[in-house]
Amino acid sequence: MVIFGQTFICGILLGGIYAIIAIGMTLIMGVMKIINLAHGALMMVGMYISYCLFTYCGGIDPYIAMFLSGACLFGIGYLIQKYSIEKVSGVETILPESQVLLTVGIMLVLTEAIRLIFKSDYRSVAPWYSGTSFFVGDMSISIPMLIGFGIAMAFVFVLHLFLTRTDLGRSVRATAQDRDAATYMGINSKRVTNFTFGLGSALAAVGGTLLLPIYYLFPDIGHAVLAKCFIITILGGMGSTMGALFGGLALGVAESFGATYWAMGYKDVVGLIIFIVVLLFLPGGFKSLTKR
Amino acid sequence: MFGEMEKNSFSMAYDDLGDKTTINGRKIELLFEDGQGKPDIAKSAAEKLVHSDKVDMISGGYSSACTFPIAGAAQTMGVPFLDSTGAADKITTQGWEWVFRGTAAPASHYTGALFDFYDNVMHPKTTALMYENTDFGTSSADGYKAICEAKGIEVVFDEAYEAGAVDFKPMLMKAKAANPETCYVISYVMDASLIIKQARELDWNVDLFVGGAAGWTMPEFLENAKDASEYVASTTLWVPNVAWPGVSEYYNGYIAKYGKKPDYHGAQAYGTMQIIVDALNNAKEISYEGIRQSLLEINPTTVMGPIKLENWSDEFGHNYTNQNRPTTYVVQWQKGVLEVIWPEAAKSANYVCPVPKWSERK
Repeated sequence: MVIFGQTFICGILLGGIYAIIAIGMTLIMGVMKIINLAHGALMMVGMYISYCLFTYCGGIDPYIAMFLSGACLFGIGYLIQKYSIEKVSGVETILPESQVLLTVGIMLVLTEAIRLIFKSDYRSVAPWYSGTSFFVGDMSISIPMLIGFGIAMAFVFVLHLFLTRTDLGRSVRATAQDRDAATYMGINSKRVTNFTFGLGSALAAVGGTLLLPIYYLFPDIGHAVLAKCFIITILGGMGSTMGALFGGLALGVAESFGATYWAMGYKDVVGLIIFIVVLLFLPGGFKSLTKR
Repeated sequence: MFGEMEKNSFSMAYDDLGDKTTINGRKIELLFEDGQGKPDIAKSAAEKLVHSDKVDMISGGYSSACTFPIAGAAQTMGVPFLDSTGAADKITTQGWEWVFRGTAAPASHYTGALFDFYDNVMHPKTTALMYENTDFGTSSADGYKAICEAKGIEVVFDEAYEAGAVDFKPMLMKAKAANPETCYVISYVMDASLIIKQARELDWNVDLFVGGAAGWTMPEFLENAKDASEYVASTTLWVPNVAWPGVSEYYNGYIAKYGKKPDYHGAQAYGTMQIIVDALNNAKEISYEGIRQSLLEINPTTVMGPIKLENWSDEFGHNYTNQNRPTTYVVQWQKGVLEVIWPEAAKSANYVCPVPKWSERK
C-alpha cells in the first residue's frame, strides 16, 4: 500500500510539471496546426537562462528566475515566429510541412548554439530545498517536486482564466478554432499567432525551470521532453489545454506505475504504448470524450 | 566532462613524454575527434580518422556503447585500436585481433576488491543490484550476479533502468522493500547523483551503498550529490595514491594545469598514451601490422600499473583477447574526499561500514 501510494504521488507530481510544458506545445499546435519540434529546445534555452541567473547572478532562486526566463522565451518565441516560421507559411514548397521542417532546423540551431557556449557538460542547480522531502505516513514527498507541481497548477489556472475571460485569450481560441473566420471578425490573426508562439515558449521555459531543482541540465535535454510532450498532446487531444493537463498527469502516473509494477527500464515504453493505444482507439484524445 | 578529462590527460601525457613522441625524426601526431557520446557518430569519427586523416592507430572511447562500434570498425578496417575506458566485456571477447584493452578491466571484473571486502569485513547475506541497461551496466551486473551466486550472497533485488530518468523512486522503493544489507548500483554520474539523493529522500538505509565505478567516482558526483555522497563506496580501477611510478606527478600536474581533480578515467587516458608511445617506439615498422605486433610484445609500466596485453579466460567462461589483467580497489567518499578503503595495503583511510543511517546524520 505504501508502495502504491508513493508511486501515485511521484507520478502525479512529475506529471503536473510535464503538463505545463506540454500545454505550451498544445497551444501552439492549436493555433498554428503544426507540431513545433523546437519546443523541447526552447524549454532547454529557458532552463539555461534560469541556470545562469542562479549560478552567475547571485543565486536568483529558480522560482523567481522562471518569470525572467519565461519573459525572455516569450520574446524569443515571438521573434522566431514573426521572422522565420511565418515567412514559410503559404510558400509553395515540395513538402507541405515546410513549417514543421523549419522547427527541426530551429531545434538544431538552438541545441548546438547552447552546446557551443556551455559545452555538453551536465549542470545542476541546487538551492537549499533541492533534495529535501517530508513524510506523510511512510510516503516521502519531495519538496521541490511539490512546489513545482503547485506552481504548474497555478499557471494552468491562470492560463485558463486568461483564455476564457480576456479579449486576447478569446482571440487565441478563436484563431485556433477557425483562422479565416477570426480574421473576418477583425482579429489580427498573425499577431495572435506570434503571441501564441511566444506564450507557448514561455510556458516551456517555466516548466523547464520547475524541473531544474529536481533534475539536471544538458543541451540535449529537449529531445526527451519533446517526446513526452508529443505523447501528452496526442493523449489530451491536439490544441486542448485541459486535455494536455490531464494528459500530463496521466502520463506521469502511468510511467510511475509502469516503473513500479513492471520495470524501471520499460518506463518510457509505457508512454509509447499509451500513445499507440490512444491513436488507435481514441484518436481525438481526452478532448473528444468531453465533446461527445 | 569525461571526454574532456580524458582528452586533457591524453594531451598531458603527450607533452610529458617529450622526446619519446619523436621516432626516427618523425613526430607522433595526436588527432582528436568528438564522438558526441553517440555510437553512430563515434564510429564514423573513427572511420574518418583512418580514411581521411590516415592515422596509424586509434585510441579512446568512453562509454561502451560508443567504444564497441569503434572497435568493430577498427577490426573491419584492420587498424589497431587501443580502448582506454570502454569496459563492456564483449569488446575484448569477440576474438578481434586488432582490438586491445590495457587500462580498462572488463566490466565484470571491476568487483575483485569489493568481493574481497565483502569476504573479509561485511559478510553480507543479501544484496540489491541496480544498473543502467547499457553494455557497461549489463556486463557489470552479470559479473556481479555470477560472483554473488558463487559466494552464496542472495541478490534480493535486481533491476535495470533507462539512463536519464527524472524519478528513480519507484525502483528505489522496491529495493528498499526488499531490505538488502548492501547494494551495488552501476550508473553514470548524473543518474548516480539522483539515485543517492532520492535514496536519502526515501530514507533507505543499507550497511554499505556501493557504486559500480563509472559515475560514482567522478568529482562531478560529489558536486551534484553534495552531502548525500557521504559514505558512498565505489569500485574503481585507480586511485591517486597508488604506488605506480609517475602517479603523483600525473595527479598533481593535472590539478595544477586544469584546476580539477582527475579520477580513474583521466588516469586511463594518461596510461593509454604511455602505452601508445611505448608501442610506437618499440614497433619494428610503423604500419598497422607492425604496431599490432608491438602492442603484443610490450610490457610498459603506466600510471595504471604494468600492462600486458594478452589472451586469457575467466571463471565465467569469457575468453579475452589482447586484454590486460585488472587491479581493482574499493573507495569511499568521506567528508568530500574519495578515500581508498580496500585492499588494506593500499588504504588511505579506515572504512566506515556499516554506515550511519540517514536520520542519524546531522
